[in-house]
Amino acid sequence: MTENPIITFENISVRFDDRTIFQNINFTLDNGEFVYLIGATGSGKSSFLKLIYRDLTPVEGTVHVAGINVTALNDRKVPKLRRSLGIVFQDFQLLPDRNVYDNVAFALEVTGKSRSVIKQRTLEVLSMVGLSHRRYNLPDDLSGGEQQRVVIARALANEPRLMLADEPTGNLDPEAAHSIMDLFSQINNRGMAVLMVTHNYDMVKRYPHRTVKIEDQNIIEVRR
Amino acid sequence: MSVTYVIKEGFSGFRRTRLASITSVTALVIAVLLVGLFARFGYNAFHVVQSLKQSIEVEVFLLDVDDDRKNRIASELQSYEQVTEITYISKEEAGTIFMEEFGTEGESLADLNFLPASFRLYLSPDATADDIRLMVVEIERFQGVDDVVFNQQLLEILEERLEMFVIVGVGIGLFILFTAVVLVFNTIRLTIYAKRNIIRTMKLVGATNGFVRRPFLFEGLLQGILAAVIAIGLHWLLFQLIIPYFIPQFGILVWPLDRWYYLTGAMAALALIMGLWGSRWATRKFISQTTIS
Repeated sequence: MTENPIITFENISVRFDDRTIFQNINFTLDNGEFVYLIGATGSGKSSFLKLIYRDLTPVEGTVHVAGINVTALNDRKVPKLRRSLGIVFQDFQLLPDRNVYDNVAFALEVTGKSRSVIKQRTLEVLSMVGLSHRRYNLPDDLSGGEQQRVVIARALANEPRLMLADEPTGNLDPEAAHSIMDLFSQINNRGMAVLMVTHNYDMVKRYPHRTVKIEDQNIIEVRR
Repeated sequence: MSVTYVIKEGFSGFRRTRLASITSVTALVIAVLLVGLFARFGYNAFHVVQSLKQSIEVEVFLLDVDDDRKNRIASELQSYEQVTEITYISKEEAGTIFMEEFGTEGESLADLNFLPASFRLYLSPDATADDIRLMVVEIERFQGVDDVVFNQQLLEILEERLEMFVIVGVGIGLFILFTAVVLVFNTIRLTIYAKRNIIRTMKLVGATNGFVRRPFLFEGLLQGILAAVIAIGLHWLLFQLIIPYFIPQFGILVWPLDRWYYLTGAMAALALIMGLWGSRWATRKFISQTTIS
């Protein structure tokens, strides 16, 4: 396989008990590409992302992420895979009892980096998302948009080549949602691939990128 | 992962979820204190039964024998391993004892000359009723021995009760330990369950299972240390001050094996092991069960 696609799904089938989620699907995401993943509720969008960060394994087929066969990956190597990805969820998943700085620094602490490197990189990404002035605040002191920026900063901390976002604007008001989309566009412009699950079709129209849809256990190209 | 991180996070985790930590420590204190109380009371009860058993004497009454015969009987009696000590009571001494015990006034020792000389045998607490019965039968056959007397019924009752006491005691002890372990483990499980979102976030950013687990283990160890200090303190307070004050006839109950550090050491070890092991078990369970989305 080539190094160009950062994600490759080859003949992936996923089943839960007797329910089929995906039937023999194929998909590629190139380095630096921005792709929307859309589909009805329960169609399997989140399962699609889980296959990438190995929270789910297919019954058939292989998933490659940055050249790594994720389906054959040893359980012990899964944390390393996740460190190479930036993951953003709708519900933020911040540590409520740590301030903004500590939440971001935590992503670096798990990698065993030195304190000085952690400090430098944390301040860098907080500045990138425009939250340097809020670094001593707890998540509860922040607006939804700001909390999502902290999550994005945390996702960027380990300099991933791929950002996965599951409904990142789902909990935000339109203004905050636009600012988050602008941030993702900036991130993508720096060369990072983005795979975003969304229901927000206004955003898809306003920030046009390649769009794929999950329908009837299959994946179809909606816009190239 | 640095040790400093583990220690810092362990203390922070303790502080952040104060209520959950206090609940875990309380469960540990109750568990360790219960085990400690049972051990202390149990040992003392066992000690009392053993002392009673030790107080049973065998009396060997002699015919009128010369000193040579008497010495040979004494040396044969001493050769029994069930016998820890022997005392010779002459006819005169027997008369004095009789007068002291029955208060026979006006009668001279000469009038009490019918009392025989005897040997009093003190028995080892390990000697069983069967051993003693067998020994008595043998002694009765010694030349110069008139009769052998001992409180067989008391010995048999004590032996039977002791056996029952040990069986019931071990049963209750195991039940208390089991209840304590269940109580502690479930409390720790609930406190760690309350932190499942933290575990989820840790896994999301690529923390290894070890990275997630170690601060929780350290926290469990801290809870164990705190629980050990409190439980040992309460135990000391109870047995050195409270019980002697309110039930003076109990006095200060002895420490098992007559040394304070055996029981306190065991209580401390139990608290540490339960804190550590409970946290390990709960984190293993939740780390494997927690998915990140």
